[in-house]
Amino acid sequence: MHLLAQDLVNGILAGGILAVVALGFSLVWGIMNIINLAHGAFVMLGAYVTWQLFTSFHLDPFLSLPISFVVLFVLGYLIQRFIINWVARAPVLTTFLLTFGLSLLVVNIALLIWTGDTRGVTTAYSGSNFTIGGITVPWAKLYTLIAALVITGVMYVWLHRSKTGRAIRATSMDIGAAQLAGVRVAQIYSIVFGLGAGLAGVAGTLVSLSYSLNPAMGQPFLIKGFVVCVLGGLGSVEGALVGGLTYGIVESFASQLDFSIGSQHISGAGLQDAVALVVLLVVLIFRPTGIMGRATA
Amino acid sequence: MNLRPLAALGIVALCASLAAPSAPVSAAGDTILFGSAVSLTGSLTKEGHLTQEGYEFWKTYTNAHGGIKVGGKTYKVDIKYYDDESKPATAASLAERLIDQDHVNFILGPYGSGTAFTVAQMVERKKIPMVEGNGAAEKIFSQGFKYTFAVLSPAKRYLEGVLDIGKHQKPAAQTVAITAASDSFSQEVAQGAAEWAAAHGIKVVYNNKYPETATDVSSIISALKATNPDIILNAGHLNDAVLVHKALKEQNVLAKMYGYSVGPDTPDFTNSLGKDANDVLGGAQWSDAVKYHGDPGFYSSAKDYAKAFEGAYHHRPDYHNAESTAACLAFQYAIQAAGSLDPEKVRDALAKLDKTTFFGILKFDSRGINVYKPMVVNQIQNGRLVTVYPPGLAEAKVKYPAPPWGQR
Repeated sequence: MHLLAQDLVNGILAGGILAVVALGFSLVWGIMNIINLAHGAFVMLGAYVTWQLFTSFHLDPFLSLPISFVVLFVLGYLIQRFIINWVARAPVLTTFLLTFGLSLLVVNIALLIWTGDTRGVTTAYSGSNFTIGGITVPWAKLYTLIAALVITGVMYVWLHRSKTGRAIRATSMDIGAAQLAGVRVAQIYSIVFGLGAGLAGVAGTLVSLSYSLNPAMGQPFLIKGFVVCVLGGLGSVEGALVGGLTYGIVESFASQLDFSIGSQHISGAGLQDAVALVVLLVVLIFRPTGIMGRATA
Repeated sequence: MNLRPLAALGIVALCASLAAPSAPVSAAGDTILFGSAVSLTGSLTKEGHLTQEGYEFWKTYTNAHGGIKVGGKTYKVDIKYYDDESKPATAASLAERLIDQDHVNFILGPYGSGTAFTVAQMVERKKIPMVEGNGAAEKIFSQGFKYTFAVLSPAKRYLEGVLDIGKHQKPAAQTVAITAASDSFSQEVAQGAAEWAAAHGIKVVYNNKYPETATDVSSIISALKATNPDIILNAGHLNDAVLVHKALKEQNVLAKMYGYSVGPDTPDFTNSLGKDANDVLGGAQWSDAVKYHGDPGFYSSAKDYAKAFEGAYHHRPDYHNAESTAACLAFQYAIQAAGSLDPEKVRDALAKLDKTTFFGILKFDSRGINVYKPMVVNQIQNGRLVTVYPPGLAEAKVKYPAPPWGQR
């Protein structure tokens, strides 16, 4: 019982990070219909921005959150404006190829700048923890979860209340109508892609606290972000949060599965990914648009 | 003017050229050309670069000392590299390209058991010998391959030394928990450790694996903590070693010993973890404390090798560097013994090889694996890596038990 409670806590803590990873990916996919394969590379860049600031200026990772966001936002904005915009209406395969190429480019540039060495952001509070009711909670991961919830909340309010946010949502609902109402779609797309990259940067900062850094680190996060996004429902803030937490919790419980079929010993931990994908399938069978997704016409 | 397709093409071409960096190579008649697919990007980037350094160091030394003499003629050496992106399938197709299009004489192995396994299949088909120093899984050597040789000790032996240390402490360590990544190398390391423990009276209280792509291992560590082990072992690679060690601290897991198959030997482990890296043990193929007296033709002692290497690359050579250099040495001695560049003759010479080097004995059993070389164990003490096992080579006494987190 105690272990199950600990697993639940571990899952929620891990899920918060995944939610932020998926949030930016989900916005870009849902609003622009671009499956951004460079998202993992953006997460990596965010982590390196944090590492660089931490190493050079001893800046606390949480204080570098806005910096990661701004740096990656500008990068994303420019990439959309000057590269992806050219293929904005192209078939999905074209944007696939383009963002895959971008990802290779970014990863290789990172390799030139920071080399392939494994790095870590180890703060004074890294690894410190407290115990409540027999459950161990690491402070850094708790702060990370709080940051993830705040970011998700801010995004939700901004998209629903601000003028730009409403223009973004209008564009995703009906481009033609949005244009007639005076929304500059090209501008909106650049902002959305910048936002996606900025959120990836923020996720990278959060990830850097518990994960080791190297230029290839983004790949598993791209894949998990993809699953979380489909699980929760495309293009919605609440979908990314629910999807992330669900994925984190499922993965956490899956790692405790341990059983034998005949003489074959099955370890659940090794099957974490498989279990998470089975859950995704089951959800999609009953709710094809994801847990929080709404059917669109 | 519409620039779009052109621009897109330019970007794709740029990506392609970056994805497969290659050095210009002269395949002239007086050069022995080696080929290697190594992980210059992807999850094993760090280890791939260490491998390449080991090869390059040998190449520079050999060319500066006149090259290799083969049947009265002296040859320079050169090595052509491709980036396998840490992917086994890519490594195999690059090996095919090295053999068919670049016409390399011989293949030097990639980093890692997964890639070494697929490349071994390729060289077997093409009948071109490969010596590798970075694929220790016995899976590679149980297929009856005749063209693949490995200079390193088998995977199963990686963590035996750590367990042996624990067994001889007072009071002795009695229980062990093992976590392992799901790749074949890590699985064999874990299996070997579990078998050794069971045979020597140490109880295995936890043994589980996690996917190679894991981004969070908290729940595995929670389950491990519940078993309260004396020794915690991790069979994996550098990135997961850091991930596991961070999670152990986050969950406040206290053991007497922490042992890793890959990680503590690279400075990255200490750089990433700071003081928390102290007192961690790592199984290693080699350290500069080993005391072999090498045959002529290269640096004869580990210390000399380490000193020259550090002069060239500005860091102490770790065992990945050394075993990669040793793979080149196996070729050097075998080519000299064969007196020919004929792949078959060199293969036969490799099979008969029995040389001592700065790295250890280079001698292969009928499967092509080096079972004649023992492992060492290193410990990080005050941020410095020192050899603590076997007793004859120990530079310092093992620090045991490890102090609690926060007091290291």
